[in-house]
Amino acid sequence: MSGEGTSERSGRRSAAEPSAEQARSRARPGDTSGEGTSERSGRRSAAEPSAEQARSRARPEDTSIAERRPATTRQRGRARNVVLTVVLGVGAFTMIVPFLWMVLTSVKSPEDLATFPPSFWPDEWVWSNYTDALDAAPFGTYFRNSLIIATGHTSITLVFAAMAGYALARIPFRGREFVFMGFVAMLMIPTYTKIVPQFLIVKFMPLFGGNDILGQGGSGWLNTWWALLIPGGLSPFAIFLFRQFYLSLPRELEEAARIDGLGELRIWAQVYTPLIKPAIATVALLTFQDSWNNFLWPLLVTTRDDLRVIQVGLAVFQQQESTAWAYLMAGTTLATVPMVLLFLVAQRYFIQGFANAGIK
Amino acid sequence: MRIWRHRPGSAMLAAVAALSLFTAACGSDDSEASGGAGGEGEVSGEITLLTPIYEGTDGEKLLEEELLPKFYEQYPDVSVSVDYTTYGTLNEKLTTAVASGLVPDVMMMGVGWIEGFADKGVLRELSEFGITGESLKESYTEQIVQAGMYDGGVYAVPIMLDTRFAVARKDILAEAGFDKPPSSWEELREYAIALTERDADGTLTRAGFDMLSHDLRQMFEVFLFSSGASLFNDDVTEPTFNSPEAVEALQFMTDLINEHKVEDVGFSSTDAQVHPLINGRAAMGLAHNNLWLQVQESAPELADQLVPFLINGEQPGMFFGGTLATVSANSEHPEAAAALLEFLSSPEAALAANEQRGNVPALTELLDSEYVRQNKMVQFAMENLEHAQNEGGPPQWLEIRGEFTPAIEAALLGEKTPQQALDDLAATAQEAMDR
Repeated sequence: MSGEGTSERSGRRSAAEPSAEQARSRARPGDTSGEGTSERSGRRSAAEPSAEQARSRARPEDTSIAERRPATTRQRGRARNVVLTVVLGVGAFTMIVPFLWMVLTSVKSPEDLATFPPSFWPDEWVWSNYTDALDAAPFGTYFRNSLIIATGHTSITLVFAAMAGYALARIPFRGREFVFMGFVAMLMIPTYTKIVPQFLIVKFMPLFGGNDILGQGGSGWLNTWWALLIPGGLSPFAIFLFRQFYLSLPRELEEAARIDGLGELRIWAQVYTPLIKPAIATVALLTFQDSWNNFLWPLLVTTRDDLRVIQVGLAVFQQQESTAWAYLMAGTTLATVPMVLLFLVAQRYFIQGFANAGIK
Repeated sequence: MRIWRHRPGSAMLAAVAALSLFTAACGSDDSEASGGAGGEGEVSGEITLLTPIYEGTDGEKLLEEELLPKFYEQYPDVSVSVDYTTYGTLNEKLTTAVASGLVPDVMMMGVGWIEGFADKGVLRELSEFGITGESLKESYTEQIVQAGMYDGGVYAVPIMLDTRFAVARKDILAEAGFDKPPSSWEELREYAIALTERDADGTLTRAGFDMLSHDLRQMFEVFLFSSGASLFNDDVTEPTFNSPEAVEALQFMTDLINEHKVEDVGFSSTDAQVHPLINGRAAMGLAHNNLWLQVQESAPELADQLVPFLINGEQPGMFFGGTLATVSANSEHPEAAAALLEFLSSPEAALAANEQRGNVPALTELLDSEYVRQNKMVQFAMENLEHAQNEGGPPQWLEIRGEFTPAIEAALLGEKTPQQALDDLAATAQEAMDR
């Protein structure tokens, strides 16, 4: 089976796929040196006249035009750059304004917040909103818990989702497509419909929390770190994303690795996975963000305040009939900091990851 | 005055003992658990409390450092584990608890929630603890007692109320020559038109009557109540919120916006940073009683300018919701749970909880408390509780209520006539009730 699959794949590759060398060059996004460049140069020499040919063909009376043309082109290029910069600047400003608004709102006084039309800059910078907001709930505990959960989910996802994605992309086995379709189908199930079944699984977890082997008699994983870490630890989206990345890598690497005697685990860990750093950064960031923002699940499976997360703390400021906007924005600003830092650290890979996966 | 305070303490113990005997007779393991360390007849056990109030550090301190120690003084053999949640997630919390069988011993929930959970058998009928409709009416307004009842039985005792009524800015009214708030729908319309201000471009700068800073369902219900209509018929078998009176109420609301232009759609929203009455963007509007806290924080100088009033149609209209305490039907320590319910709804504990949130105490005797006297909105609400009506009725209310806002929006936006919007809504509600 495996042999058939390989030969079939090899046949298809020779007809439709680029060489291993080209594939490797593609596998390193952002790498514009080496073969990739020479390939592009080769194509140009075949299809387009060289600069020298163009120059030799140019007639004397065209000299002034030829001289003017680069200047015009340069001007056009400059104008294009200015327009591009302005457009991107406006876009960036539009994106950053809500964030800025959040930060500025976090230091406004109640009187300032009540004015209409609202002022952009605070009349008075009330930094005490931050200390007051932090006093309104045990944010230190919540922050620690969120960090543990987000880090835990990210670690679990990076290891197991990468393994699953690799298996679905590179290991032929019977029913692989069905399994993959199953994961895709899971992406379409709304979160709310899964809450009660997931809760029941957690509650009836055998041999935990006083439960017997049949999951009866106790509270299972409820009120434990297990409930916070395991159910959300792996998402079908991460597996899907990893699969897509592993699929884009050339098969020759795998074949060479097998010839060198590497086992499946080492091929995954040492050959393929180092080539998908953008995917790792992307999945890590998305998973971390998702876990960091999780609110409902931690609230449902815990009853103890020492297991609650930062989003629960933020909910204190939003009551049914009124919202303490300054405190909410102060808390939200602080809650955003880890995400911003993480993005700054991983942004190069993150952007590559989005570009490669074709998602926005 | 407490309802069951009239009974001697022994009556409570007798009821508890009777309950213990009953459970023992049933041969369940509960009897052992109920007995706890204290032995037969004593109130003991570890119980859980699920609460959407007492949130945040202040609320937690109030409950765990001030109130519960007093409870433990009375019931040293009881320990309470508190699960804090929010109203936004209370339904999910209760649903998962019920599905898993781990229902908290004491649950706090909103007005309109009782019927559904009582119907499912989640809640314990409280008459076994001597809490009856009649006894409650000695301490609470009748309508508030009804909010905790289902099918003739008492399942919940109120702790705090959220009320909605109209509020006017006295200074803005005076500018237009009005010396008191409107006393009828016609006057409300006349005042609202006169008080609406637009700039030269026609852009609204001040709404004559703000309806959009508030949940539209509750907004409509205030007008519906004042029209003399009700949400459901007496035996709660069919909706009546599409009756001619109710349609007239919604027509009145849509006319205020679409015909008389006293407010533009989009002018305000439930997410507004402050109520438009506070920053002068509205001359009148519907408000929650915690408007008082907002104005004290943002513009205390305006406190004297806010005048609460009832919207008068066929009758005065005021809405009340609130938080009630219930006991789980499957509690292993029902007597301890009932003791906690009694404690949390007692004057001292209820007053402290209301003060923390700026809400309206449900107990009539608290009208004389200093907190109520110093909070103009809360005082007004308490003085007019006899006119207050609540939402709810059928067990499916939590499902039905979610359909209200889109229906009201459809009417306000002119997508449907008020009659069509309410007929469609009634059909959806009927379908849910017949299911």
